[in-house]
Amino acid sequence: MLTVTKLHKTFNSHGNLVTAVDNVSFTVPDGIFAAIIGKSGSGKSTLLSLLGALDIPTSGKVEVDGQDITKLSDRKLIRYRLTQIGFVFQGYNLIPNLSAIENVMLPMEFAGVSTKQRRTRAEDLLEQVGLTADKLSRKPSRLSGGEQQRVAIARALANRPKLILADEPTGNLDSATGKLIVDLLHHLAKKQNTTIIAVTHDLEIARQTDLTLKLADGKMTVASSSAAVPEPAVHAAKAVHA
Amino acid sequence: MSTVSRGVRNAFRNPIRTGGVTIILGLSVGLALVMLLSLKAVQGRIDTVKSSIGNTITVSPAGARGFDGGGEPLTQAQLDSLKSLPNVTAVTGTLNDRLTPVTDTSLASAIDPGTLGNRARRATNPDSANAPTGGPQRTFSLPVMVTGVGAVTPAAVNATSLKLVSGTTLDAAGTTNTAEVGQALATKNNLVVGSTFTAYTGTKITVVGIFDAGNQFTNAGLMMPIKSLQALSAQPGQVSSGTVTVNSVTNLESAVIAIKAKLGTAADVVSQQDSATNAIAPLESIKTVSTYSLIGALAAGSVITFLTMLMIVRERRREIGVLKAIGASNIKITTQFVSEAFTLTAMGAVLGVIGGLVLANPILKVLVTSNTATSTGGSFGGGGGRGFGRAFGAIGGNTLTTLQTTIGFDILAYGLLAALIIAFLGSALPAWLIAKVRPAEVMRGE
Repeated sequence: MLTVTKLHKTFNSHGNLVTAVDNVSFTVPDGIFAAIIGKSGSGKSTLLSLLGALDIPTSGKVEVDGQDITKLSDRKLIRYRLTQIGFVFQGYNLIPNLSAIENVMLPMEFAGVSTKQRRTRAEDLLEQVGLTADKLSRKPSRLSGGEQQRVAIARALANRPKLILADEPTGNLDSATGKLIVDLLHHLAKKQNTTIIAVTHDLEIARQTDLTLKLADGKMTVASSSAAVPEPAVHAAKAVHA
Repeated sequence: MSTVSRGVRNAFRNPIRTGGVTIILGLSVGLALVMLLSLKAVQGRIDTVKSSIGNTITVSPAGARGFDGGGEPLTQAQLDSLKSLPNVTAVTGTLNDRLTPVTDTSLASAIDPGTLGNRARRATNPDSANAPTGGPQRTFSLPVMVTGVGAVTPAAVNATSLKLVSGTTLDAAGTTNTAEVGQALATKNNLVVGSTFTAYTGTKITVVGIFDAGNQFTNAGLMMPIKSLQALSAQPGQVSSGTVTVNSVTNLESAVIAIKAKLGTAADVVSQQDSATNAIAPLESIKTVSTYSLIGALAAGSVITFLTMLMIVRERRREIGVLKAIGASNIKITTQFVSEAFTLTAMGAVLGVIGGLVLANPILKVLVTSNTATSTGGSFGGGGGRGFGRAFGAIGGNTLTTLQTTIGFDILAYGLLAALIIAFLGSALPAWLIAKVRPAEVMRGE
């Protein structure tokens, strides 16, 4: 379970103190697909960076299964990112000179998985995300946007993370491909009981998720939630803005 | 694929840049290698020259050389006073005398006068029948050279080697009437160990040994204990020259200064230091050029690698952020970039080693030519006094013209070492920059 409590992040921008995330609190249970929506500059990506331990909050807590990741040492943060988090980026961010399968194998290499095991798992994951076998050894530049994002999702799942953080995962894709990618994320989340938090400004995508949180000027409100989300999670988010 | 192999592969991501960097690094490594080879060759030659100098200083009466010149003789007491000087390890004196055959000794000279003997005789006896330059050659005997020695060494008889052929080595510290005779003199007079001959108004002298000094002049003479010769020749306490041994070649110059200060105008003090310095000067010049060029080439290589890696790191900031976001540690990412830098420098090193092997001797030749012209001019290899000057003239001439780099398997090790140094120096700051990249940067500008 992901629990965020009074998370606050300010930046110093040209001498001005800018609040990107303003006392945000919410809870996302395991296996839930949540969307964070908001306008450009509302603090969505900053919040995602804080959840993924890519950035340090000014104050507040981010707890994953009861462990506050804001208190972890650098060494433990690397381990946390490696084993507990999977990232999917808007621009895919695949390593350009590695093939599709090598990109998927990369996080497993960092985790110390043997070459044979990581190849088998990478092939399995790429098959799950629907990349055909003939494209496994292709470089990202020879894959379509949708295919690259599938590879990026497979890479995010490589080390069986508890939490997948997706930053505008369909931002560079046409609507049909975007829907396919969202369906894929949804399917994998349910199948592996993985929590997914996706930042998006696409309301159509947000409608497909279990929980939609809205961020405006760094403050959060609950836009909608499905029956899959227990009351406390909604309450926690509501309480902040009541 | 491992971190290292990924780094190696990354080196070829931009073939044009890789090619350019390899060529420039190749030039840098090649130049470093050539300079290293030149340094080795030059240092080897400097060591050879220094070892050939010897660490001795000759002290002679002021204005005299052997039987030429004039002035007052030196005394054993004056030589003994040099023993206390810094860096002086030994002082031995020699006394030279000439025995005229038939008149002074029973020995016959082992050298025929010939043209040179006649010429010398006319020069020293202008009133003789042959004076001043013409006339037929006369039949006469050259004197037998006697050297009173304080120690049996090649330097005592102005030879480069001294080998005992038979008998025992002369007791140079003794006062007996004994002699070690040259091989030619022994043959001429049928002398063997235990034979006797007479000299100095019939004094019987016993042969204890026969030596070979490797030259006809010295082999035609004999050695006696200096004290015996001083007594027999009525030159008590006198020496013709002294040999001062210094603890190191590097202290020769300071010892010469100290001896000159001690003996003042009474003695001429000569060492091979000046000749050696002249011989070594152009070598030192090449050494200096090579050293600075070596440092410059290594620094240039490091700067090239540094700038290249800096550019690569800046270009791949987002990629570094992604790697960090998916769980790579700073060490893994740094290792990857250092491997990339090492691959570039290794390729440069291979190119540089090949170029260095081909160009080492031609470049050394250019260095030699320019340094011979600027440092020594026409005087190098010529001039000098008797003996030493000529010897060093020869050394000087050969020192530069025959200078060659020696190329062995160790070159590969040197090339690899240079590549390693360049790669690590060039990657140090980029590695630090990698550590500073925050993974959150990957989320920006999406």
